[in-house]
Amino acid sequence: MIRWIGNLRFRLRALLDRRRMERDMADEIEFHLEMEERKYRAGGVGAEEAHRLARVRFGGEERFKEQSRRSWGVSWLQDMGGDIRFAARQLRRRPAFTTLAVLTLALGIGGTVALFSVVDGLMLRPMPVRDEAGLRVFWMDYDWRGVEFDFARDRVKAFTSLAAYSMDAVTLRTATGSSLVLSCIGSAELFDVLGVKPLLGRTFRSGEDRPGADPVIVLSYGLWQQRFAGDPTVIGRTVGVDGRSTTVVGVMPRGFYFPTPEARAWVPLDLDPSTQTYQSNGWLVLVGRIRPGVTGAQVHDDVTALAHAMGQRWSYPAAWDKSRSPHVTPLREYVLGSVRPALLLLLGAVALVLLMACANVAALILTRTTDRTGEMSMRTALGASRTRLARQILTESVMLGAGAGALGMGLAAALFHVLVASLPLQNGFADTLSLDWTALTGAMGLAVVTGSLISLAPMRSLLAGDLSGSALGERRQSGARRGPGRLRTSLVVAEVLLAVVLTTGAALLVRSVERLRDVDPGLDPKGVLTVDLLLPEASTDSVERDQLLHSVLQRARAIPGVSAAGLINRVPARGGGWQATVAVADRPDLADRQRPNAYYRPVTPGTFAALGAHIVRGRGILPSDRLDSRRVAVVNEAFARRFWGTRNPVGRTITDNGFTEGPIEVVGVVHDIAVDKLVGERPPAVYYPWAQTMHGSSYGILVAKTETDPAALAATVRKLVTQVDPRMTVGRVETMDDVLDAAMAEPLRLRFFLGLFSVLGLVMGTVGVYGVVSFGVQRRRAELGVRLALGARPARLVGETVAAGLVPVLLGVVGGVGLSWMASSFLARFLFGVAPTDLVSFGAAAGVLIVAGVLAALVPALRAGGTDPAVVLRSE
Amino acid sequence: MSKNQPDMIRGTLDMLILKVLSLEPMHGWGIGERIQQVSADALQVNQGSLYPSLHRLTRQGWIRSEWRTTENNRRARYYVLTRAGERQLGLETDHWTRLSVAVGRILALG
Repeated sequence: MIRWIGNLRFRLRALLDRRRMERDMADEIEFHLEMEERKYRAGGVGAEEAHRLARVRFGGEERFKEQSRRSWGVSWLQDMGGDIRFAARQLRRRPAFTTLAVLTLALGIGGTVALFSVVDGLMLRPMPVRDEAGLRVFWMDYDWRGVEFDFARDRVKAFTSLAAYSMDAVTLRTATGSSLVLSCIGSAELFDVLGVKPLLGRTFRSGEDRPGADPVIVLSYGLWQQRFAGDPTVIGRTVGVDGRSTTVVGVMPRGFYFPTPEARAWVPLDLDPSTQTYQSNGWLVLVGRIRPGVTGAQVHDDVTALAHAMGQRWSYPAAWDKSRSPHVTPLREYVLGSVRPALLLLLGAVALVLLMACANVAALILTRTTDRTGEMSMRTALGASRTRLARQILTESVMLGAGAGALGMGLAAALFHVLVASLPLQNGFADTLSLDWTALTGAMGLAVVTGSLISLAPMRSLLAGDLSGSALGERRQSGARRGPGRLRTSLVVAEVLLAVVLTTGAALLVRSVERLRDVDPGLDPKGVLTVDLLLPEASTDSVERDQLLHSVLQRARAIPGVSAAGLINRVPARGGGWQATVAVADRPDLADRQRPNAYYRPVTPGTFAALGAHIVRGRGILPSDRLDSRRVAVVNEAFARRFWGTRNPVGRTITDNGFTEGPIEVVGVVHDIAVDKLVGERPPAVYYPWAQTMHGSSYGILVAKTETDPAALAATVRKLVTQVDPRMTVGRVETMDDVLDAAMAEPLRLRFFLGLFSVLGLVMGTVGVYGVVSFGVQRRRAELGVRLALGARPARLVGETVAAGLVPVLLGVVGGVGLSWMASSFLARFLFGVAPTDLVSFGAAAGVLIVAGVLAALVPALRAGGTDPAVVLRSE
Repeated sequence: MSKNQPDMIRGTLDMLILKVLSLEPMHGWGIGERIQQVSADALQVNQGSLYPSLHRLTRQGWIRSEWRTTENNRRARYYVLTRAGERQLGLETDHWTRLSVAVGRILALG
């Protein structure tokens, strides 16, 4: 131990106090020579001869000094320093090579890490619940009634527990003010099913979801920090939730979320069998925990039995028959279902890019090493050991890798933010994601390992001794070079192949987005602003609420520049909301269980005008359609087409049992406005007069059309709402353009990333082709020179060289088209209006790669054609 | 070095240095002279190669060095045997003795 420390101290001194060590050594040797000289002098030798003899007997002074230095045990460090300096010099001497290698590798690494962080956060990291594998969501989400939940809870045998929840925005009033908080409304069992314990206080107690219970609220960690400054005495405090005084009973631990990170508080459901909501509103999600040891088949039998029992208990209309196709979905799949395929697609694309980057750098390094055979041979001849040379190549590759890794980290950090901002992550997941530092460190390692592995290829031939004799004459005939040459050509074929796959995918998405843009949203988004309005239900009565919403609407219409304004219950293309079964009077075949579903859309006068939706037949909703006047409705074209075909719907009668009683006269048909989403077939929808259906509503969405910038209108509307009543809360504010963009977010974003990747792939493929052709040209310089000297036409040489360079390109294109064809079914789900085997996209990708290949081959080929035979022959 | 002089067996130089230093602290030149004298010129120490050995032994902690003044009032680096060096010398001497006895027996074979 002590010896080891002494050893280390010595080495440290050798390293740090090197100058003194050197001086001491010089002094010591000088003393030795002096003593030796003195000895000879004493023996009668003359001064000069003594001086000479002493030095002869000592031997090569420098050699022993070098040996001594090595015995200080720091030489490997010094050698490494030398290697690094040498490598840096070499890399600097070839800026184009270095830049290309580092950039391609950095892009591959940066992209992989950024995407991996997202995938890790969304798909690999466990959800913040106990044993998430046991949690299942029941079919028909947001469609279970309270009465069905109670029915199901007592019947499922394969589940230890079952809970119901939904999402709702509540107004939270604390000492610091009032705001809208998106919350999860859950049954008392919710936290038991999830198996999570609170950080402070408690969660729901049984019975708290039943009538008569004292209102309680459980806060998320984030909300607790933000609204209560993390005060631990918050438990037991009274706050206002939707105007009712409510006790804070618990705070959940940091990182917990359910069902999505967007929900920032949890309040119990009110399962009161005497209410309409309990009996007939389907708005709950059922989540259950599978009993340990129960098999999938047993779960299936259990839910099938439940569905059967429900079918006997209630008669369901066909459109939402819960007794049909019962199934359960794993919680994670349910929560993240929509993001997963897109992520996998991008991860696949980025893996292709990384592969290409590695292939490219490998090809670059191979070219470099082959170019340097002469230099290497020379150095071997001068006494450099093979291991030393190999170490130098390794150092160079590792330095490339390290440089690329560092740059890749920066890129990863930048890309990550772009990625998070542009993925379809509407549920607040973006906030839970963070750049994975392990992945970042891993990227560094990956880069270095890639660098080293790549450098192994040339090293093998180096160590095998292929360098002998090539220093002087036979540079061009050396068999060592044909191997790497073929290896590099295969690398380029692979690169082109991958580039074709990426470009085809990008082309397909570009065309999809074009088709999407052609989709008619049925409205004119220009200048349209949507504002979610919420009223406190507990502290206002229904007449007051009607007045408040009405006065906001009146004042909004008076804002300068606003040409029309109205209310609606849902923003077009932003989710479906309530549906109701309707009965069509003159279609007795659609009675009872066959009654169709239609989306329920109450609107005020002015809503259609604000949305720019025109009335196709009859009239729209008028101010004269009041609560006490005749029941009327406007249907959309899809509704009219489906139930009356070409016949005129105006004047016909429908009934809507879900929301209103009695016959309703259809007074008009409105052009198909996007309902639940932008794409796909328009579902039937019925637009009712707000006044007849939404009496006492505590929410509404204001739609206003302005001649000016709708985003600028937002501030005015907010101020106006506060002026009308400070108890009123403004929720989400979005321009219609944003809403439509969000509706096609996924294809837009995929197009963005795949486009980016395919450009990268294209660049790398081009670089690869360029490398191979220019290498070939260089190898054949002598031949070209001789042929030119013998009168060959330069144009012919150029053509020949380009043709040779195109061989790997064509091979790659054929392979790439084949691979894309095979992978097309996977891409199908991301496409819209374009076949996954769309010939235009395939042709475009192949064409782009071939053109790029020709250009890449042309540059070195032109150089070949311009070879000056005199120069070449002289240099041989 | 003339042909009939045996080469220093690898590793023995270290042992000889340790042995010389076990008698008294000595500078590099003195160590070389001493080995040559005592071996009656049978062992020729390649003078230069002494120094890498000395440096290696120092790093291993078997000897340490200090600058002293010689009797001629000249500054010189003296090497001193350490405790660890004494132990090492003991080990190497044992080893050498066993080896030379064994080699001697084989050479003495009929």
